Amino acid sequence: MSFFHHQQVQTHRQGFSRRSFLRNVSAGALAAGSLSFQDLMSVSAEELRQQGRAMILLWMAGGPSQFETFDPKPKTSSAGEKQAIQTAVSGIEISEDWKNTAKVMQDIAVIRSMTNKEGNHQRASYQMHTGYIPSGSVKHPSLGSNIAREIGNRELDIPTIVSVGATDGAGFLGVDYEPFNVNNPGNIPNNVAATVPAQRYQKRLGLLGRLDSEFASRGGEVVVKNHSKIYNKASSLVQSPQTKVFDLSQESASLRQQYGDNNFGKGCLLARRLVEAGSTFIEVRSNGWDNHANISEVITPNAQQVDAGMAALIADLKQRGMLERTLVVWMGEFGRTPKINARAGRDHYPRVFSAALAGGGVKGGQVIGASTADGSAVQDRPVTTTDLFCSICQSLKVDPKKENMSPLGRPMKIVDGGTVVTELFS
Amino acid sequence: MMNFSAKRMTQIVCIFLFTVSVPLCHSSTFAATKSSPQSNKGDRVGETAVAEKVDQLIEAELKKSKVEPAKLANDEDFLRRVTFDLAGRKPSSSEVILFGLDSNPDKRNTVIDELLKSEDYAVNWARYWRDVIYLRATDMRARINEAEFEEWMTTQFKENKSWDQIATDLLTATGDVRENGNTALIFAHEGDPAELAAETSRIFLGIQIQCANCHDHPTDKWKRNSFHELAAFFPRVRVRPVRDATPRTFEVVSMDQGNQVAQRMQMLQDPTMLFKAFDRNRDGKLTEQEVQRTRMARNFERLVSRADKNGDKALTAEEIKSIPVPDNARRFNTEYHMPDLMDPTAAGTVVHPVLFVGTKAPEGMKDLERRETLSKFLTAKSNPWFARAIVNRLWAEMLGEGFYMPIDDIGPERSAIYPEVLEALADGFTASGYDLKWLCRTITNTRAYQRVMQTKIEGQPHIPFAAQSPTRLRGDQIFTAITQVFGVDDLQANRGGGDRRYRGNRTARGQFSSLFTFDPSTAQEEITGDVPQALFMMNSSAINGLLGTSGNNKLAQIAREFPKNEHAIQELYLLTLSREPSESEMKICQEYIQATDKRNEALEDLMWSLVNSSEFITKR
Repeated sequence: MSFFHHQQVQTHRQGFSRRSFLRNVSAGALAAGSLSFQDLMSVSAEELRQQGRAMILLWMAGGPSQFETFDPKPKTSSAGEKQAIQTAVSGIEISEDWKNTAKVMQDIAVIRSMTNKEGNHQRASYQMHTGYIPSGSVKHPSLGSNIAREIGNRELDIPTIVSVGATDGAGFLGVDYEPFNVNNPGNIPNNVAATVPAQRYQKRLGLLGRLDSEFASRGGEVVVKNHSKIYNKASSLVQSPQTKVFDLSQESASLRQQYGDNNFGKGCLLARRLVEAGSTFIEVRSNGWDNHANISEVITPNAQQVDAGMAALIADLKQRGMLERTLVVWMGEFGRTPKINARAGRDHYPRVFSAALAGGGVKGGQVIGASTADGSAVQDRPVTTTDLFCSICQSLKVDPKKENMSPLGRPMKIVDGGTVVTELFS
Repeated sequence: MMNFSAKRMTQIVCIFLFTVSVPLCHSSTFAATKSSPQSNKGDRVGETAVAEKVDQLIEAELKKSKVEPAKLANDEDFLRRVTFDLAGRKPSSSEVILFGLDSNPDKRNTVIDELLKSEDYAVNWARYWRDVIYLRATDMRARINEAEFEEWMTTQFKENKSWDQIATDLLTATGDVRENGNTALIFAHEGDPAELAAETSRIFLGIQIQCANCHDHPTDKWKRNSFHELAAFFPRVRVRPVRDATPRTFEVVSMDQGNQVAQRMQMLQDPTMLFKAFDRNRDGKLTEQEVQRTRMARNFERLVSRADKNGDKALTAEEIKSIPVPDNARRFNTEYHMPDLMDPTAAGTVVHPVLFVGTKAPEGMKDLERRETLSKFLTAKSNPWFARAIVNRLWAEMLGEGFYMPIDDIGPERSAIYPEVLEALADGFTASGYDLKWLCRTITNTRAYQRVMQTKIEGQPHIPFAAQSPTRLRGDQIFTAITQVFGVDDLQANRGGGDRRYRGNRTARGQFSSLFTFDPSTAQEEITGDVPQALFMMNSSAINGLLGTSGNNKLAQIAREFPKNEHAIQELYLLTLSREPSESEMKICQEYIQATDKRNEALEDLMWSLVNSSEFITKR
């Protein structure tokens, strides 16, 4: 069975539904005689699903300062109080709190010329998750949901898309690609363990199924079909031996130490275990990057956690030979102002900010683009959200120009516009 | 026919004797409204008269398509449906039985009236509107006054405030958000004019004009101007933190004057006044000597350092104008500026308030005058969209689909199904003085609302309103139903969950709601539920803790008081699904109990299955 995955089931109760249209596009194309093409596509899609490509998004909620992370500006008016440190790659310097990350710089490509226009947290987060500007009329799928839909393993009991901390969802792609939320990484998630022995649990499910079919025969068939699909998925998770993937105590104490004994570190370790077990997209969130006040003080503990988790993750993936097929992306919704404000903090600044990528075919040890000397604008090679998203798609072998039908009947590309940042892969 | 245990029978007789007189007096009061005649457009028309007209129109339409409408639902189904819709809860076992036994032909009317009078009605709809507003909030801090909004909205429904009054209060709100629940909409969008324009239009007119934010509307007649002219009603609204308040709070205020910063900035952008006042020798230059001992003296040196291009230590008008406007300048504007798409950093052009379906407002009004004027335009009887939007919304909420879908994307270039039905309801609603209870009473009194569900025949197209569509209950309704089933006031809250700054995350209802809630403006076919919801219903300790047959749980009582399996099964069905089991269901359940070693264990399994069933979370 294909749990946590899209199935060709009509969840609507009427002849025409916009969502069913989305689901039926491929069927329609087949019927129209373009069979060979579709056939070809689906074969290669199957191959892709088996390659186990995956992405781990390290999301810095609040908008991390580029100056205190990957684009320090020592000895300028924008410097702030942090020093720059050398990394494993000569010529690349990052901010002083990132000592572990500095050691794996040979695997990391830093983009210092990210640029966008949105300076509101919610709207910018939405854009940096979906690639689209928010609109009241259509809820765009996050890139993670799109990727899970394109290359996720259909045979998996555990979710193909997981988020450690709440995130943007599947939008119009629907419930099959909604991220599975883990709030306390390290333990089996809430409500996943059954409260009765397996045999009795099975019996209960059997009774539930029989009673539900009675309701279906009274006119609730669509509701029941949908409900049982979800209950199937849920109970296959409950009963799966794979749920032990959530239990981090199976890892050595020293490795856990290396990742860090905090939610972010645990989230990173969980992400690696999930990728190993076959999941496709994992987001690990770190909060507290909205540093309007006392930035040099408050950023340090946060940066040190993320530094440890991220560096351990990259090293661990590499050591296990998983880095080539696993893309790790570090980013937030925007950057922060060059000027330190009156409260010793930095304010929102989308005009120029940084992102960092590792693995998934990305050539590490390089800096792409540059900000101006004072960090107030892009100096060289601007990279937009859609450029970044196209590049992510390239790494995962997902076609960014593939169209899905939105609820308002308008086809929407996975990524609308943008070009691949080719330097990443050369 | 019902076949109750002796214990249940005694209860039934007692309650029946006690309450039998009540429905009769209700039906006589109702007769007064029923008899009001069909009259001129504009006069208040009785609910049943409009309901009848609606049904005739729908049935005529169905007849044209040669579709036989489904028969009316039985009492059990009707009572459960209307109790959830109007009061947000399931009917109790006694209510189901008594309603079935009541021989009054007007009993459906009567129960509708009783539900509308209940406190539950007010609370149910207040929660509905809380979800409408907060699930689209663009500023998440807004959650701090969710509870205050719910309370305020409950009072509005309890007092049956008219819809135009509620809309006006939401749009003209001011003050501390923790003391003024009606600041919800403005606070949810941080007072941002563009977001407020989009939401005001979507919620009160059902028109999605925000597409016109950046370009002329792709499918409607609205121009880009229309959107910004609507936003121009809100440029003086400000949401700001209340200083030193604990707990932290915000206030909605009017900024009519601009402040000193704005005045100074204006002065720099247009320095004519400065030169009139200070350029004593009229040489077109301001010097330090000239501004000595004036209010410009203090900042003059700084101005020179920023703007003096030729190094003569004096400033020309051109030099002063060259001082760049700070990034946050928009905050200090008292007029709305439509952004320049070609140059997003430019100040944009000033736009004055006009409601696209109404008229132009005078220029330069104060904040509250603007918002009051907008409210008047919106709620004017000459604006048909105000009534259509709410009629479409409530009809869709109760029948599972609207005349327009999605329910908040209506408008002159959208096409409605049964448009004349919508018009009849909207006219009646307008004539009632935008009376929401009138609207609820009218909708629930239609045959269209009261029909039975029908099995879908393969290949046959779906015909709206020919039969009841099963619809998903909202999170709050399911939560209430769970507490009713287990006979508890509340469930056990999860201690670790969510951001604890928000009260909603600390209560069991709040936690349940964040797991089960969906935006009430979403079409039914898109509400499918998800795995975490299923996991909660199956495995959460909150529910499983109440499922045992030991102690004094509801289930333990049933197991004890109804020793015959048949009666216990009957009780469980009444309790969870507010109906009797069918013959085949009875058979399945009896067989299950017989095949299980321990009776109590079997009853636990049965209750578990019923609470986890599709039907439990569905309005049938």
